[in-house]
Amino acid sequence: MDSHRQRWTVASLTVPTWLMLLAMFAVPLGSGVYLSTRSDKIGSFVPGVGVGLDNYRRDVMSGVFVEAIVTTLIITFVGLLIQFPIGFGLAAILHRNLRGTQLFRTALLVPMLLTPVAVGLMWRFMLDTDLGVINWLLDSVGLSRIGWLGEPWAARMSIVLVDSWQSTPFVMLMALAGLAGLPESPLEAARVDGASPVRAFVHVILPMLRPVVYVTLLIRLIDGLKLFDVIFILTRGAPGRATQTVGLLTYNTGFNFLETGRAAALGIAVTLLTLPVYVLWLRAQRAAQVVG
Amino acid sequence: MFRAAGAHAPARALERDIDKGVRRMRHTRGVRRLTALVAIAGLALTACGGSDDGAEEATEDTAAPAEETTSEECAAVGDKGEINLFLIPSPSSTSIQSFIPAFEEETCIKVNFSETPYGEAHQKQLLAYQQGDGQYDVAQYDNTFLAPFGAANAMLALDDYLANSAEYDIADFAQGQQDYGKYDGKTLGLTLSTEPMIQWYRTDIYDELGLTPATTWDEYLANAKAIKAAGKGDGTIMGFGPNVSWWWMTLVWSFGGTLYDGNLKPTANSAEAVAATEYLKSLLDVAPEGAISATGDDVTFKFLSQPIGSMVQYSGYYGFLKDPNANKYPGVIATAPMPKGKADITHLAGWNIGIPADSKNPDQAWQFLEFVLGKSNAKAYLESGAAAIGRKSITSDASLAASDPYLALLTIPSSSRIERYPQLKVWPEMDVAITQSVTAILSGQKTVKAGLDELQAALEPVLAAEKG
Repeated sequence: MDSHRQRWTVASLTVPTWLMLLAMFAVPLGSGVYLSTRSDKIGSFVPGVGVGLDNYRRDVMSGVFVEAIVTTLIITFVGLLIQFPIGFGLAAILHRNLRGTQLFRTALLVPMLLTPVAVGLMWRFMLDTDLGVINWLLDSVGLSRIGWLGEPWAARMSIVLVDSWQSTPFVMLMALAGLAGLPESPLEAARVDGASPVRAFVHVILPMLRPVVYVTLLIRLIDGLKLFDVIFILTRGAPGRATQTVGLLTYNTGFNFLETGRAAALGIAVTLLTLPVYVLWLRAQRAAQVVG
Repeated sequence: MFRAAGAHAPARALERDIDKGVRRMRHTRGVRRLTALVAIAGLALTACGGSDDGAEEATEDTAAPAEETTSEECAAVGDKGEINLFLIPSPSSTSIQSFIPAFEEETCIKVNFSETPYGEAHQKQLLAYQQGDGQYDVAQYDNTFLAPFGAANAMLALDDYLANSAEYDIADFAQGQQDYGKYDGKTLGLTLSTEPMIQWYRTDIYDELGLTPATTWDEYLANAKAIKAAGKGDGTIMGFGPNVSWWWMTLVWSFGGTLYDGNLKPTANSAEAVAATEYLKSLLDVAPEGAISATGDDVTFKFLSQPIGSMVQYSGYYGFLKDPNANKYPGVIATAPMPKGKADITHLAGWNIGIPADSKNPDQAWQFLEFVLGKSNAKAYLESGAAAIGRKSITSDASLAASDPYLALLTIPSSSRIERYPQLKVWPEMDVAITQSVTAILSGQKTVKAGLDELQAALEPVLAAEKG
């Protein structure tokens, strides 16, 4: 009897947490699912009606959505290919505490502190084909100008470039924190065994950094999938739909076309599609246990 | 119609224009009492902009007694009501605000206002009207939202007020412009700015090469080619980027096409639309390289800062010409009517302003609109920095024409068919579909035929939703 009461007491202590989770997560998600099956529109004077899965059929099963997913994945993964090597490389250099490390660390963190809209505007000027400093530099070394925001692949890569410029410091910071927490003894042992710095990095440091890599990857993947502001400022999805990501598509549907039901369907679809990213979280936890 | 993104530059020009306006108004009967109060607005703007011009300081003293008189007089006559304005950041909004003190003084009606950025303004208005609790008495909105507001009966019909207002004098507008705020035969909004697409050109380049402003699209392209060939710069610029629909629609209409037929079936891949799109694409060869991604605002900024012979752009951007920070070529830019195609059309844009149907004080709201936009203050309103309203009495005013020669272009001849943004609830979705297809064509991802066929297919469900 006592243990039964104790269990109830313990369980009741978790009620505020459950209520909080319900309010912050389950209710909005449930509302989103409900809204996605209705014809509601912002400001419509005609009440929305249930439309079943019509919103999913029209918007999620469309070529435009698939295109947006592909564009999102391209921008995200190409970005990761740039951000991880540079971020980890910079972290490795800064970890050696060479002269001026403090100054460089502070300077390298500046892009991360800026708001994406300001970053987008600044780069929009720099990438301007006619007046931008980047084409001016290309011109001055005899290279031909590039229509950074007007050609499909150049526009995609411009977004990758801007996002990487702003996000690499975050990767660097995470890697730096990971490196600072590594035990010295395995590295010492590797050195005594005659491992070169590269081999020591690949076979000793990197495995120990695995939890950090997974968590960083997880966060950057989520950031990449919801990337919106920089694209909105730089290209607004143009040319054509070359830079239209799922974030921009959902924004347009919800806040430009005022189609809240359809936008909710897109949002739910994106939520479901990003569930596999959760696997990374599980892996990170497992890796942390192994390293620990 | 300036969007929020471009509003900072007109604001600077506005500070100077208000000063100029203040000086002129001191000599104008009937608006003299506005002097001190407009000066308050000028002073406030100066404080925000950090100007160190001494002219504003001198007006501060004249403003204070006027405020005292207002409160004393109004205390004597009692409460005359209160109205709430919903404004969207723009030179028009700033000018409206500058008239509030004078209106309060004259009528003892208290005026509150709030500004909401363009990107969220119409959604906010729709939500407010849906609630129906009379949050706003006067609302500024883009003409593209006339249809959604009209369909929802969200705005009050102003026809009775107009019929009885000699002060507003609707007959002072050409017929096409009288219809600018009409939906389903009812006037739901007054014209807050008249912004037709017009031709802009560099007089120095044209004179040197012996060119004259184009009257047809063929001439326009020939002029642009001549400028480029002579090495005087790029021939022309239009917005081939995220706002390409502004120009594409204009050309489709001008080439004799339409966007959809009477049954709301899209006609985006008609022969006329194909010809218009091919023409638009041909202009890319004589435009600056960066035009491919230029927004509507970029087009103006590039034209005013790079050697470019001509552009076609809304007249509402004229304020930038007067801004030395924006215009690198002062005194050598002139305007002319837009070239004609198969059809003589005028693409007309601009703000509307109206009274929400749930307004708690519609009569006071009308009094305010009549005061700011009526005939008596029309000149002062323009001089306070607002985008021009195409009243006949304004566009034919010789003194105004001397400083703003483009004003004559705001009188749209009856021979020219006025075209404006489609008055459809689904316009934002159409706009995105047009932009995506046309920019895909211009950037070489699609042929003209394939791109327009895709657009046609994309518009079908969108327009079907309008019918449904």
